[in-house]
Amino acid sequence: MPDWNIIQAVNDALRVEMRRDPRVVVLGEDVGKFGGVFRATAGLIDEFGPDRVIDTPLAEAGIVGAAIGMAMYGLRPVPEIQFSDFIYPAFDQIVNELAKLRYRSGGQYAAPVVIRTPVGGGIKGGHYHSQSPEALFIHAGGLQVLCPSNPVDAKGLLISAIRGEDPVLFMEPKRVYRAARGEVPEGDYTVRIGEARTVREGRGMTVLSWGAMLHEAEAACAQAAEQGIDPELIDLRTLWPLDVEAVTRSVRKTGRCAIVHEAPRTGGFAAEIAALVQERCFTSLEAPILRITGWDTPFPYTLENDYLPLAPRVLKGLRGLAAYLP
Amino acid sequence: MAQFEFKLPDIGEGVVEGEIVKWLVKAGDEVSEDQPLVEVMTDKATVTIPSPRKGKVLQTLGNEGDVAKVHQTLVVLEVEGGGADVGQPHAPPTAQSAPPLPPQRAGSPAPLSTAPGPGRVEQVPAPRPQPGRTTRVEVPQPMASGAPSYGQAPSAPGGSGNGEQRDKVLATPVTRRMAREMGVDLGSVRGSGPLGRVTKTDVLAYVEQQRSPQPERTEAPARPQPRAPGAEERILLRGLRKRIAESMVRSKSTAPHFTFVEETDTKALTALRARMNQALAARGEPKLTYLPFIAKALVAAFRKYPHLNAVMDEARQELVVKSDVNLGFGAATDQGLTVFVVKNVESMGLREIGSEIDRLARAAREQKLAIHELQGGTFTVTSLGKDGGMLATPIIHHPEVAILGVHKIKQMPVVVTGEDGDQSIEIGERMNLSCSFDHRVIDGHVGAAFLYEVIRGLEAPELLLVDV
Repeated sequence: MPDWNIIQAVNDALRVEMRRDPRVVVLGEDVGKFGGVFRATAGLIDEFGPDRVIDTPLAEAGIVGAAIGMAMYGLRPVPEIQFSDFIYPAFDQIVNELAKLRYRSGGQYAAPVVIRTPVGGGIKGGHYHSQSPEALFIHAGGLQVLCPSNPVDAKGLLISAIRGEDPVLFMEPKRVYRAARGEVPEGDYTVRIGEARTVREGRGMTVLSWGAMLHEAEAACAQAAEQGIDPELIDLRTLWPLDVEAVTRSVRKTGRCAIVHEAPRTGGFAAEIAALVQERCFTSLEAPILRITGWDTPFPYTLENDYLPLAPRVLKGLRGLAAYLP
Repeated sequence: MAQFEFKLPDIGEGVVEGEIVKWLVKAGDEVSEDQPLVEVMTDKATVTIPSPRKGKVLQTLGNEGDVAKVHQTLVVLEVEGGGADVGQPHAPPTAQSAPPLPPQRAGSPAPLSTAPGPGRVEQVPAPRPQPGRTTRVEVPQPMASGAPSYGQAPSAPGGSGNGEQRDKVLATPVTRRMAREMGVDLGSVRGSGPLGRVTKTDVLAYVEQQRSPQPERTEAPARPQPRAPGAEERILLRGLRKRIAESMVRSKSTAPHFTFVEETDTKALTALRARMNQALAARGEPKLTYLPFIAKALVAAFRKYPHLNAVMDEARQELVVKSDVNLGFGAATDQGLTVFVVKNVESMGLREIGSEIDRLARAAREQKLAIHELQGGTFTVTSLGKDGGMLATPIIHHPEVAILGVHKIKQMPVVVTGEDGDQSIEIGERMNLSCSFDHRVIDGHVGAAFLYEVIRGLEAPELLLVDV
């Protein structure tokens, strides 16, 4: 199996699906001739031509709106929003149209659109290239929201997303676009949507994370383990639908739960997870559920390493959680 | 001077009586407050009951081995004077464990105790003792041997009283659940955590403190005396031995037993277990015994024969079929047979079952099992060990309806028929299973089919993993 990074895995997933299914088309800003600003669509135009790999104007509402129309006519569009920070012009199209089409038409129309978009900070990108808007779209209702942390899941989940009937927001953690590597299965490969992955087993506490911060959480868990804390780390990878079973099973075992994400804390997805955990695992809880997240500020350009919940801050949090007397 | 009658308190858990195991004082003894008076064994645990008062023992009621009912007088003490504090020396500070309130108290905070101190104590005003008269005092839970312990923040002055105390005990949800399951009133536990939070450790220490110490309880003479011809020795059945005797009689006289024995080929199971243990050893984790696999095979068999995972409601003559699989495991301890219960085996993995069995077996040996770890079984497995013979007729852990005896694995010659029909003799592995059933509710062919289903699981253990 080839040793690939997330970009290569995404590129391969698109190629595999475009070869398998002529309805799959890619569209977005600079996805064609240029091959995408992160090179995720590099080479696709050479193999599939400009009718299936479409360079669009700089107009996100138009990109998503066009994709919805294409999907209703039977295509499987995979639009790219160059940075998730640019997704807001398309917010109305996504929330009011894309997410609600199956519901609004009583199931007569589906819009199986997969919006790919890089998320997160840590690349010296500043406010317009660093945000993590997952909570907004989970809250909207009607969308699946996925965020792989590694190339294997990136490929498997992207292919599952393209084959599904539901609209999907596919968030790619750009901080580890090239840093996260792994042996990616060639050809057809899927990962079931709705299934979390246990990265490390433990009995001391449950640590939930996804995307780029999963790697920070993993490093912190390794150090915590050396200090006798024994965390269990779960990569949620499909944020919505959430693998509630995996989460509750783990928390019932460990009695403690920490959630690590880089989006701001208030109204972040960790809040929803914390609520679910206390609803379902209340009598197992040995400590308050801990959120280790970005701060409630705009994403700061110069202070991004203070903003992000990097491994040292996560470790500090986990130690505090372990120290709480049950 | 006044007399003080000390009664066997209601120690919760639905316990209605306790056997007097050992008197630690006798008439004429001076006792100090909190000095242990007597050891009493309830259905599940032995507790040492301390004196709530300082005074002189006038009389102890009941001999060792006698059964005392809750609220029956155990000791009469002569105590100093009398006074307001005679009322409830050790009433725990919560409404739950207090005696029912007289009707006029509903909604009215009027007759609250005037006793100072933190924590509002729901007290029934005691009649002021008259000199020379016996003061009858009910002591709901005097086993918190220390002074009233309020780890939690003191109650607000001038608070309205009723039921407020409960809100003021600080504890995490898991500790609250643990206390509830162990029948511990959190208000009686001294909290050692921040702001007086009652921690799990505090609850465990409290339970421990209640059941210990268990000084040497000799059930038989340690040194055999040289015997005269025809001499006999009489050993009174008491303590755990008496409980065992009672439960065996109850089971055998209630449930007509039949026992069915069959052998199982363990070759695949031994190989699978060896592979798993190799992997576990590489990860530095403890080995699996055969019991977790047997548990899994039972869970699979219960899916097909749910009536075996059940208990009898004798009062209503109903078979109560359970969805949770709570497996009892027999453990030999110094005191005798104990059955601990691993709860919800159906939702556990092999490793989890194994470590839970290890933990409970250790607790059984150290006599540290909590009451909830002894109750709630739906089916019992008894491991017959290396001297288990080739068949046994295990007695059902009533009110369960079946019990599985597991014999040791033996090598033996077996006839093997090849694909071409040729027969040969090979060294095979066999383990016998002896399963007893309550014939009132389990027919012979059902019991047999159930055991064959268990055997099917053990002979093809990979199938057990399919639904793990």
